[in-house]
Amino acid sequence: MTVHNLYIFDRNGSCLYYNEWNRKKQAGISKDEEFKLMYGMLFSIRSFVSKMSPLDMYPSQARPVSACLPVCLSACLCLSACLCLPPCQSVVLSSLSVLRKEGFMSFQTSKYRLHYYETPSGLRFVMNTDLSVPNARETLQHIYSSLYVEYIVKNPVCVLGQSLDSELFSSRLDSFIRGLPFYSPRAA
Amino acid sequence: MADESLFDFLHMEIVSHIYKEQQSGKEEMDNKDRAVCVSVLESMGFRVGQGLIERLTRDSPSFKDELDVMKFVCKDFWTKVFRRQVDNLRTNHQGTYVLQDNTFSLLTQLSNGKQYLDQAPKYLAFSCGIVRGALSNLGLDSVVTAEVSVMPSCKFQVVVQKL
Repeated sequence: MTVHNLYIFDRNGSCLYYNEWNRKKQAGISKDEEFKLMYGMLFSIRSFVSKMSPLDMYPSQARPVSACLPVCLSACLCLSACLCLPPCQSVVLSSLSVLRKEGFMSFQTSKYRLHYYETPSGLRFVMNTDLSVPNARETLQHIYSSLYVEYIVKNPVCVLGQSLDSELFSSRLDSFIRGLPFYSPRAA
Repeated sequence: MADESLFDFLHMEIVSHIYKEQQSGKEEMDNKDRAVCVSVLESMGFRVGQGLIERLTRDSPSFKDELDVMKFVCKDFWTKVFRRQVDNLRTNHQGTYVLQDNTFSLLTQLSNGKQYLDQAPKYLAFSCGIVRGALSNLGLDSVVTAEVSVMPSCKFQVVVQKL
């Protein structure tokens, strides 16, 4: 029961914040590349989901499922192999949860689950946890409303769109994550 | 009072606008420019404070002495404007008062310690002006300065001018 790491992206794809709590294995690539890879994968998955179930997200005409499925799957496998939280024997994309009108919310592999929350303003919160956490959507929503809005938006020194340096935000986020019921210092 | 974020956001933008105006065209701001910005913000706060105090003391009786005025500022006025009371009031009984607020509402979102300490005075100038304006309309001419050592706690020093 643990949280592995958390990314916050803005709508242009730049990573505003990253922190990790329980990451077993580092990827062989630099942090910038990892962020780009993560953002690209999420972008592909989102467009894939919107094409698969167009009535959920865009109530206009249905669009044919294009070739973006193999693209996003391979990006996802590549990313999972890179991020590779615990040593992974089989990385399988087992399910995509799509609820009515929510679009992409999370996916899981045999070793971890990635939760995704996108705010109406285009901010993307991505959290990787282990498999025991079914739904972290409220957690991500809480991080947005009580932590991001309080300590970043209302902070006159933090320019929106630049990476978040406020120590107050980091420390509050850290204590919030450590206080979550599904967080424990050692991964199961 | 209305939603506090309305004033917080407006205040953030006022401060950043004034600093940008002063800096337009120049590379670096020197101390004279910064002093100009601070005094512009302070005079804005002065006028706001004057108006606010008229409205808030509409129904209260007149004050007995200076100390009474300061206590009113620390309790009722601070509650209406900054949503809390001043934590500590000290005086030397000769016209100097120090008001200490341990979680000043305009600084709480900035940081919890030493980060951004150099930016803090920008966000206190307007509030100094509010206090000075309030006191001036209650009959006390004063000079108000603020200092911060650890956020979000700050001290306002009021020196009442005797004619």
